[in-house]
Amino acid sequence: MTHILLIEDDAGTAHEIMLELRANGYAVTHHGLAGEGFVAAQDDGVDLLIVDRQLPDGEGLDLIARLRAEGRRTPALVLSALGSLDDRVRGLRAGGDDYLPKPFALIELVARVEALLRRPNETRDTRLIVGPLDLDLLAGTATRSGRALDLLPRELKLLDYLVRRPDRIITRSMLLRDVWGYTFEPNSNVVDVHMGRLRRKVDGEGEPQLIRNVRGQGYVFDVPV
Amino acid sequence: MSRSDPRTRATWRWGGAIAALLIVQSLVVAGLFWVLANGSHRRMAERGFVRDCRDLAAIAAPARPAGVRAMLERDIHRDRFLALFAADGALIEGNIARLPLAGITAHGSVVAEVVTTELPGKTRDIARLVICAMPDGSRLVTGVDLDDAEEALRVVERSLAIALIPAILLAIGFGLAAGRRAARQVDAVRTLTARIVAGDLAERLPVGTDPDSFGLLCAHINAMLDRLQMLVTEVRGVGDDIAHQLRTPLTRLRARVERGLREADTRAGFEAVADAALAEIDTLLGIVAALLRIRELEDHARRSRFAAVDLARLVEDACELHRPTAEDRGIDLTCEIAPVAPVEGDASLLMEAVSNLIDNAMKFGPANGRVLLSLRHAGGAVVVTVADDGPGVPRAERSLVTQRFYRGRQDCEGAGLGLSLVNAIADLHGFTLAFADVGSAVSLVAPARG
Repeated sequence: MTHILLIEDDAGTAHEIMLELRANGYAVTHHGLAGEGFVAAQDDGVDLLIVDRQLPDGEGLDLIARLRAEGRRTPALVLSALGSLDDRVRGLRAGGDDYLPKPFALIELVARVEALLRRPNETRDTRLIVGPLDLDLLAGTATRSGRALDLLPRELKLLDYLVRRPDRIITRSMLLRDVWGYTFEPNSNVVDVHMGRLRRKVDGEGEPQLIRNVRGQGYVFDVPV
Repeated sequence: MSRSDPRTRATWRWGGAIAALLIVQSLVVAGLFWVLANGSHRRMAERGFVRDCRDLAAIAAPARPAGVRAMLERDIHRDRFLALFAADGALIEGNIARLPLAGITAHGSVVAEVVTTELPGKTRDIARLVICAMPDGSRLVTGVDLDDAEEALRVVERSLAIALIPAILLAIGFGLAAGRRAARQVDAVRTLTARIVAGDLAERLPVGTDPDSFGLLCAHINAMLDRLQMLVTEVRGVGDDIAHQLRTPLTRLRARVERGLREADTRAGFEAVADAALAEIDTLLGIVAALLRIRELEDHARRSRFAAVDLARLVEDACELHRPTAEDRGIDLTCEIAPVAPVEGDASLLMEAVSNLIDNAMKFGPANGRVLLSLRHAGGAVVVTVADDGPGVPRAERSLVTQRFYRGRQDCEGAGLGLSLVNAIADLHGFTLAFADVGSAVSLVAPARG
């Protein structure tokens, strides 16, 4: 079982996070202090750290920096009420692998955790065949069960991104960040409109649905059985 | 006022300092006077001694005692000492009994005690004198009584001492007055700042028409207060706005949850209520996040990610990102991109700004209208313009639309934060947000570099 170490001093937030992560099948250990957390993080059984920045006895980023200095590469997701982007940049520079500002949706947290735990297979294969889908990135074409999908370049990139991260929630801001390369929360549904078009092209009449919309949260690519 | 009161201490310190200064000055004057008066008396006496020695040396030895006597008889003030002694030290003629212990001096004079023979009621006296050798080996002592000179100096000393008393009193008085004046000025500032601390931000320090350095300081403090008052007013306004803006959706949310819970009787029904509530809460959190972001941008705190940004690519991306949305709404979104030099900035923020402008154009422009996104040079500046064929922002509202929560039209959804955010982003980059004079167009203008 995947073991997550949560270092967060706010009991209420910690409780919610633990419930959500356990519901998603993770084992979670919780510590409220940086000192305890640092000791607990020495355990090789820990697969992922979730660290709050402002802890009563220290700064979460220092804890991560110390772990990195020891050569420990356990992926770390930094949580912070200091949501400014300068803070995020500092968080990532200190060795954090992702940065999630408070308040966050629990589903976003789970999506980020999944993204960190199962880093996509970075094989830069130019040909991806998953179930009925066949993506040829060099030619810029995609087919489903032999049917040409007629995707725009951006739609092909979106599908490529989803196919490489099956069974995981992909949020709008993750798509905007990783497929377009811009980090901000879109205030309109521009990304959803792109995804809507992609879904209509991929999932034809009467075909099993491959891209599922998780209402209000994002999208999941379901690996065809 | 107690001794420990810093204002009293300041007053005494000022008074004491000025008094000490005047005392020192008086003493220096008295000292100088004494030294100069003493010196001039001595020089006069010494000229007389030289003359006596020369005159008596010129007289033949047998006639010299008579010369001495004659000179003594001319001294009606009886303040001269003159005596001729033989080579063996015996008195020949004069009014001094013994040869003083001082030696023969060629220049200058000495002060010595002499034994007098002709002064009534006095056998010893202090005199300034010289002893000079006569051609026949006898010695002449010539001197003046120092009593008169000493008397004159004592008068000077006494008058200086007497003058010193009113001077010291005057100094202390003036010092106290100066100290109290300074203390009063500080006191005025202190009471005023106390009132300001208590909450009365409209108070100002008095500044005269011809201010001294203290007045200038007061003027500076006033300027600081002006700025502070402006900021506080702004913050209060924003706080009121936030409370007001959040109250409406919160009320709506509460009503919806309340009604939903009452009416829902199936699991699906409850889920629908919870979903709707979640969506409302997300909107509220979005408002809070946007406010925090605007504040952060206005603080100019976020420059760590500044890099060269290719605006041509950014505008192209923005067009591509919004095209499907535009098509769905039947809006013709067109992009005209001229090659421009890279600008220094944060690509994500600039994208957010452009994205907001496109959103606005699509939201407020006419249905099935046109939105033109263009990137071009104008003079040395690089200009990103979003134009639509709607009425645009009325001239009167242009200064208002960038304020938080200002909504030009109430019939469209949105919290009224979009242009505040765009303005803050433009500001952070040193760009300006400009509205077209004719038609509906908003531009981000990046001034020429250098």
